[in-house]
Amino acid sequence: MAANPRWKMAVDVERCIGCHACSVACKIENNVPLGRFRTKVYYLDTGKFPKVTRAFLPTLCMQCEDAPCLKACPHSAIDRKADGIVRVDPDKCEHDGACEAACPYGAIGCDDNDVADKCDFCSHRLAVGMEPACVETCPAEVFHFGDANDPKSPYSRFMAKHGKDTAVLKPEEKTQPSVAYRGHKKEMEAKIPKGRIHDPYSYEIETWTSLAPQFPKGKRVQWAQVPQGGVFTYGPDAKQLAANGKPEGEDNGKA
Amino acid sequence: MERRDFLRRGMAAMSSLAVGETILLSPNDAHAFFWRRKPELIGQREAVRRANGKGRIPNDYSKATIVKGVCLNCSTVCGIQGYVIDGRLVKVSGNPEDPNNGKALCAKGQSGPTINSYADRLLFPLKRVGARGEGKWMRITWDEAYDEIARRIRKAMDEGKPEEVAIQIGRSRIGEEMGRFLNAIGSPSLFNHRALCSSNKRAANYVSLGETDWESADFARSKYILNFGSNFYEAHQGAIHAAIRIIKGRFDNGAKLVTFDVRMSNTAGRSDEWFAPVPGSDGAIALAMGNVIMQAGEHDKQWLDTWSNVDAESLKRWIARYTPEWAEGVSGMPAADIRRIALEFARARPACVAFTNRGSGAHYNGFNNDRAVILLNAIVGSIGKPGGYCYTVEPTRVPPSVFPQPQPRPPAPKARSAIENPPEWPLANKWQRMKVGQIVYQGIKEGRGKIQVYLSYTVAAPQTWPEGRSLTVEVLKDEKLIPFHACSDIVYSEQAHYADLILPDATYLERWGFDTRNNMELRDYVTLRQPIVPPPGECVSFVDSMIEIARRIGPQTAQYFQFKNHEDWIRQRCQALSKRVGEDGFAYMKTHGVWQDTTKPKYYELYNWEVPAAELKDTRVDEKTRIIYRKAADGRETAVGLMVDGKARRGFITPSRKFSVDHPDIEAAAKERNFTDDPTGMPNYFPVPSIERMRPDQLHLVTFKWNVHTQGRTQSQKYLSEIVHHNPMWINTDTALQYGIRTGDLVEVTTYRPHGHQMKNGGAIVGRTLIPAFVTEGIHPRVLAVSNTLGNPWHGRAANARNSRRSRSDAFDDRVIAEDQDLDGDIWWDVRKGGTGAGYNVNAILPIQPAPLVGMQGWYDTVCSIRKVEA
Repeated sequence: MAANPRWKMAVDVERCIGCHACSVACKIENNVPLGRFRTKVYYLDTGKFPKVTRAFLPTLCMQCEDAPCLKACPHSAIDRKADGIVRVDPDKCEHDGACEAACPYGAIGCDDNDVADKCDFCSHRLAVGMEPACVETCPAEVFHFGDANDPKSPYSRFMAKHGKDTAVLKPEEKTQPSVAYRGHKKEMEAKIPKGRIHDPYSYEIETWTSLAPQFPKGKRVQWAQVPQGGVFTYGPDAKQLAANGKPEGEDNGKA
Repeated sequence: MERRDFLRRGMAAMSSLAVGETILLSPNDAHAFFWRRKPELIGQREAVRRANGKGRIPNDYSKATIVKGVCLNCSTVCGIQGYVIDGRLVKVSGNPEDPNNGKALCAKGQSGPTINSYADRLLFPLKRVGARGEGKWMRITWDEAYDEIARRIRKAMDEGKPEEVAIQIGRSRIGEEMGRFLNAIGSPSLFNHRALCSSNKRAANYVSLGETDWESADFARSKYILNFGSNFYEAHQGAIHAAIRIIKGRFDNGAKLVTFDVRMSNTAGRSDEWFAPVPGSDGAIALAMGNVIMQAGEHDKQWLDTWSNVDAESLKRWIARYTPEWAEGVSGMPAADIRRIALEFARARPACVAFTNRGSGAHYNGFNNDRAVILLNAIVGSIGKPGGYCYTVEPTRVPPSVFPQPQPRPPAPKARSAIENPPEWPLANKWQRMKVGQIVYQGIKEGRGKIQVYLSYTVAAPQTWPEGRSLTVEVLKDEKLIPFHACSDIVYSEQAHYADLILPDATYLERWGFDTRNNMELRDYVTLRQPIVPPPGECVSFVDSMIEIARRIGPQTAQYFQFKNHEDWIRQRCQALSKRVGEDGFAYMKTHGVWQDTTKPKYYELYNWEVPAAELKDTRVDEKTRIIYRKAADGRETAVGLMVDGKARRGFITPSRKFSVDHPDIEAAAKERNFTDDPTGMPNYFPVPSIERMRPDQLHLVTFKWNVHTQGRTQSQKYLSEIVHHNPMWINTDTALQYGIRTGDLVEVTTYRPHGHQMKNGGAIVGRTLIPAFVTEGIHPRVLAVSNTLGNPWHGRAANARNSRRSRSDAFDDRVIAEDQDLDGDIWWDVRKGGTGAGYNVNAILPIQPAPLVGMQGWYDTVCSIRKVEA
């Protein structure tokens, strides 16, 4: 690590297995309430059976050099230091909501009930020499994180090798993200909400097959109807079932 | 209650719920009536978020103590380390010293700390006061619980019926402790779940390799990986261990990954190629591939002629009947693809591996499917080779030479149980006591064996067993069939609901235990589970409970428990390790969490290892078989190796001392049970009778596991259920179109009983359920899939998607585990908040269907019909 670290991340999407370990590690580490997300993995299924594939897109705060949330906050509660990390000062936050409305990456949440909350690369872990929780736990070595000023950091080594294959998400937003992606499906950027934090319903399986899905609603349905009385019998002397009368046959059982 | 009585019972001062007070545990809001006062909101979220007015207080790791442990949030056995700050477990990470997972953990592993602090966790022993299954409970003391259990066990022993004391378990990882407990009583009745999990795969490995039930494929060095029905990116036993290495193999070593699965799992969807054959046809494809490879001369003739008990020419003749065109007819996979993939695979030899899991194994013919896939590795000579199908010596046991059990040990029980060892499935207990867990409740109902005392642990059979909601519940509720049921559990589970006593358990983060599994680094290794934090309230680990009960039964059982507690048992067993590690063995295990034997080379080509000269003393070589035998003092001979090219080699631990393509035990078992579909011991394919007899309007119904859930124990963990709580039924787009079904429509599913060996009432209806549809391209057109997880009626608010205050807060204690604001305000997937709810339990309508000979549940053989109910 250099004397003045500049924290950056590269996300090698091709290796991602969509396991959500990063998301859960983040929630545990940072006590993120239900319904709020600092990190999130999107799914997209494409193709026609049998030629179908699934793609993943892990997301987090992009730690933009030109951060819209920072500029939007009327209370100057958001700051960006030389280490490149965009942080919220909870003492200054008046949960105004302007930061959430300004973010093109769904990465910051701020409402009446809670102060602004976002990924800060687990700054408290960096302070004691630990990796961010998502980076540490990833079984697929998707996240290459480190000090961009240190050529030996995992980030620098990855970029030296693959930098030319990387791109930022939503470059049209011109926010100069500190997080680079390699191998992501461009169209999946449409899944990341703009102006509001990640929607919890975007976890639902119904959202996997579309870039602009309808979020499902729950239905109240009855429990499974199962006849009482076991019917699997075994052994030479085991009694035939029919404890509850004649079982419905194959032919009259047509629904 | 008299004050004197109150004091005698003791410990009540800890809780606002007095011992002896009646409470009702229920998921229904109707019981809001029982709330006495608004609980103080001092939940984790509130405490952290609102401290100092606002803002979270981040974990201060400079104050953290690190304690090693082992995850048990699925079956994979990942080493972990817990970070404890101010007495609270705030976080876990992978144990960097663990050879299998290192610092990596999956979502389930990360979720661990929420189990400890779950606001709906049970903290006190409870005794049923209403009818069984009514949900009325009274708090009692541990003394009362122990005495009642001990008294009932002693009665069964005094009557000479120790086998009527049974333990029902899920994945417990305290098998040796439970074995000692039951052996001390004299009971063989340990009912497990292996037949609901993996017994066909294990049997196939035992038959083929002889000494192991689980391979340790060398994925990281592989060039070609053929995956028959494993979803190792999400749910394989050893998932993360495999995934870490397969990703390295693919992206750092250029391996190709081909997956066979009827449903597009994350693994299938991220493979280089995905094929969706007809369920249960994996074996046909594998045999046809073997045939293609041998006809093309791409097999390893020398390996087969040296190491296989069927030589290359004989095998080539036998396998010629399985043509790609025939396999296409069985599986739907184009013959051209079978040829192409087979040759690609063979040309990568020996750095290529074909392996299986539940997708191929959980079928009527799963044992044969898995044998056929393992055979592919033999045909190309990749067994034990770098990048190939490697294995270690028996990986599922803690080696007794390194961690010997304290003496004296109880003898094996003399009593027998036809439930534990049903003669209809002669291969179930042949190599390992895998048993036939799905028929236990029927066995009890039919009076195959009586039960006096039924103890249950880490299991939720009404939720996870086939016909769980009907047969399992019927038997669990019947006090004539099960006169007494004590359940050790963390939460008020589907099992606990039907108990008479509930013993609040310690979590895997709060208790002791050894654990091990196959080590992908091909060495012997053992991990240590230790309490990272102490259990809260009056929770006691089940092993400590068993030790206490064994003492109270009487001197005949107490004599085998001459150690203070579970910790002491572990300490004693670590003593022999001291000389190996050069320090106190117990301290070593606590510090590192894992011991790995690095004195031996990695287990590559274990069969080719030379037999040490010392072991060759007093041996003879059989002229015909070349097997090396040693004669013991009593005149009995044991095989110690195989002569190969004039050298004494270890060989395979099979009857022939070679890789078993043919196996006499299978032929004998089939003859014994008059099972005519598989009359020889040679690799063979036979169809699934239920599938063969399917009508055109019927469909397959299969199940699967999510990456954030196990089938039974994760639904109560809020961050996991937040990600997956909703499990609609997958249906292919074209099929859905035929039925006029769109995503979200309610569908009625009717399931039918299986046909085949030992099956009765084939074609009769098992049950019906309503479930919404998820229309997708990612599934075979004739297959429907519903996760085997979710739809829990119990397990607390996170599992039930019930956003509400803790029901009857006095069942719990805010001073021990605080109410959690997340569960009282932010369960956004509660239907009442516009969410999708807690999902559907499809196991309820899946028929019990044990496969022939081995007895594994044919989870993926279910036949069903559907109709659209409403949009």
